[in-house]
Amino acid sequence: MASMIEENGPSTHQSGVSSSSQARLKLDGLLNKNMRIRMTDGRTLVGLFLCTDRDCNVILGSAQEFLKSTDTFSQGEPRVLGLAMIPGHHVVSIEVEADSLEDTQGF
Amino acid sequence: MVMKSAIEDDDAGWGLGIPEKMKNNANWVDITHEFKGACKGTDSSCVFGLFEAMSAIEMMDPKMDAGMIGNQVNRKVLNFEQAIKRKSRFEHGHSLAQTVFTCLYVHNPDLIEEPSLKAFALGILKVCDIAREKVNKAAVFEEEDFQAMTYGFKMANNVTDLRVTGMLKDVEDELQRKVKVIVLHQQFLALFNRIKFTRLLLTALITFTKKETSSVGEAQKLVVQAADLLSAIHSSIQHGIQSQNDTTKGDHPIMMGFEPLVNQRLLEDMVAYFGKLIERIKTVCDVINTTNLHGILDFFCEFSEQSPCVLSRSLLQTTFLIDNKKVFGTHLMQDMIKDALRYFVSPPVLSYKCCLFNNHQAKDYIDSFVTHCSRPFCSLIQIHGHNRARQRDKLGHILEEFATLQDEAEKVDAALHSLLMKLEPQRQHLACLGTWILYHNLRIMIQYLLSGFELELYSMHEYYYIYWYLSEFLYAWLMSTLSRADSSQMAEERILEEQLKGRSSKKTKKKKKVRPLGKEITMSQAYQNMCAGMYKTMVALDMDGKVRKPQFELDSEQVRYEHRFAPFNSVVTPPPVHYIQFKEMSDLKKYNPPPGSADLYLAASKHFQQAKLILENVPSPDPEVNRILKVAKPNIVVTKLLAGGHKKDTKVLPEFDFSAHKYFPVVKIL
Repeated sequence: MASMIEENGPSTHQSGVSSSSQARLKLDGLLNKNMRIRMTDGRTLVGLFLCTDRDCNVILGSAQEFLKSTDTFSQGEPRVLGLAMIPGHHVVSIEVEADSLEDTQGF
Repeated sequence: MVMKSAIEDDDAGWGLGIPEKMKNNANWVDITHEFKGACKGTDSSCVFGLFEAMSAIEMMDPKMDAGMIGNQVNRKVLNFEQAIKRKSRFEHGHSLAQTVFTCLYVHNPDLIEEPSLKAFALGILKVCDIAREKVNKAAVFEEEDFQAMTYGFKMANNVTDLRVTGMLKDVEDELQRKVKVIVLHQQFLALFNRIKFTRLLLTALITFTKKETSSVGEAQKLVVQAADLLSAIHSSIQHGIQSQNDTTKGDHPIMMGFEPLVNQRLLEDMVAYFGKLIERIKTVCDVINTTNLHGILDFFCEFSEQSPCVLSRSLLQTTFLIDNKKVFGTHLMQDMIKDALRYFVSPPVLSYKCCLFNNHQAKDYIDSFVTHCSRPFCSLIQIHGHNRARQRDKLGHILEEFATLQDEAEKVDAALHSLLMKLEPQRQHLACLGTWILYHNLRIMIQYLLSGFELELYSMHEYYYIYWYLSEFLYAWLMSTLSRADSSQMAEERILEEQLKGRSSKKTKKKKKVRPLGKEITMSQAYQNMCAGMYKTMVALDMDGKVRKPQFELDSEQVRYEHRFAPFNSVVTPPPVHYIQFKEMSDLKKYNPPPGSADLYLAASKHFQQAKLILENVPSPDPEVNRILKVAKPNIVVTKLLAGGHKKDTKVLPEFDFSAHKYFPVVKIL
């Protein structure tokens, strides 16, 4: 932990940790967390974050599709999709469960 | 890519846990911005499990995402045209649930009271049902072609086909009377045309299910009648479109009236689609006029080249092998194979005048061989029923079966030859069956390689060894095989003439007969020259540094080469040419002095010239001949220019234009 704090500290002269691997660490920490993604057509997918790539295409495991807003109790019955891929350009917003963020770096 | 290992098992709430969390209104933290930033910051992709990636449903893809909102297919409609449009999309691979059954009226047509709508709904269901049955039976589809699931929807099983056609006819008659009486008869005429079209299409499909060969002719007449109605339907499209007061609520418009935003162009496409479908069905009906096996194979190949839809392909398959027993319901596959053998290589054992014909043991040999040939040839014909992309792969696999057949052919040939030597010493039975199998083997191998061009699988730097394999190897073998078959035929003919001479003293006039294999030999020569021309052009371009090659650390041309020709490893004759052998055989340094690029361009231009000469001498040229000429002629010019050093120093790479012919490009120097 200590070494991580040093590397993430204010000094930017640290060699050895490139920004790309920092980004990678951030994303690594999110793996297998519950994610809620809103799509451009208004649907919401909830599932376990399995994979992403440079263009922000996301693969969710055990994905469920909700049609109405999930903030109210009148959300529709979820439709189980299983393994689903959302193209990056159709992602409006990405949310992670608050309680699962304790051990995640950088968010 | 950042990924989770597939083997890691976690208990963080699969399935059951998640909806609970949703209901408990778990706190969600928005990380959109950071996430996207992190994604951009990662390096370029690393390998993710390809199987996992391919198994995922892609959201917002109309075919894979059934819940997609705003997908035009999902709009519920009432209009006849829309229903038929759905049916055509069903035939193009979308699932029934997304297409036909978005129209509520087909869910339970028994409840419909209006007679024309009821008859139409039933008609549509029956057409879909029969189409589905045909496609399933023919088994020449893949998941991209067709979704076989019916999701438990009833396809009018409680009503017989006859009853539905009867209902449609009743409605037609009723409408015909109204058309004469009522002032608004245009609309009724439009309705009449559509009902009649549906009935004709349905009846045609039903006719295809019948087992007699005569039914094919009947079906052809019916579809021709249906085609005649299409122009009338096209001109009355506007009667189907009516604006509707807004009844849409939220994301799922409630379907009660007419499609408010109907796309006129899509409807016209629908008419065009049916026009083409009917043309294809007519072509399918023509197949029964071809009686020899090679002709049938060619027919299937040509039909496939137009990339026809899954329904017409399936109809062709089921027409060919009715209930998988007899060809066109009348001939046995074994008899067709024997006919093909006679036509191609005239083996003595199948000649009526030969003593072997009635020899018990010889008959056993040939019958068992022919029986063993049946399945591979049926498979070969079935392969040509698949869509173009899938064919190539399957052709590669069937080479194994043909290699086994070749082995058997050689043994049978040897046995028959020794038998014949004892009984009729003047005759020979050398490699007759072997030659025939070899011919088919070579055809499959050539098709396999050429289809790679059509499917755009090869990179430019691979062209040279593909064309080499074709011209220096496969076509060379094909030419020698065809000439061997030809001389075998001539030997048989001579013997027959001798026998006839012995009987009558009539002098037979010597007429120059058209050799049955003549056209094929000519076309093969032309193809060989085209391939040779392309091969030499590519090598010369490479010498001039005009071919872009891959430049990565672990690059190996040998690996690419072996991969491209991997399916050939199961073939014994001709033996596969491995990379090192290829390099030796194609080494230009064995010539003294070794040719430079100018010499190669000149040689290539001569090959194209030769191909042009051969093809221009073909009597009654077919479209294929003209297509090749369209490539040969400009290539002659280009290669001559290149030989003269035209644009030698330019850095711009040449382009290869496959639009005139899918196997041979026109070389363009920019």
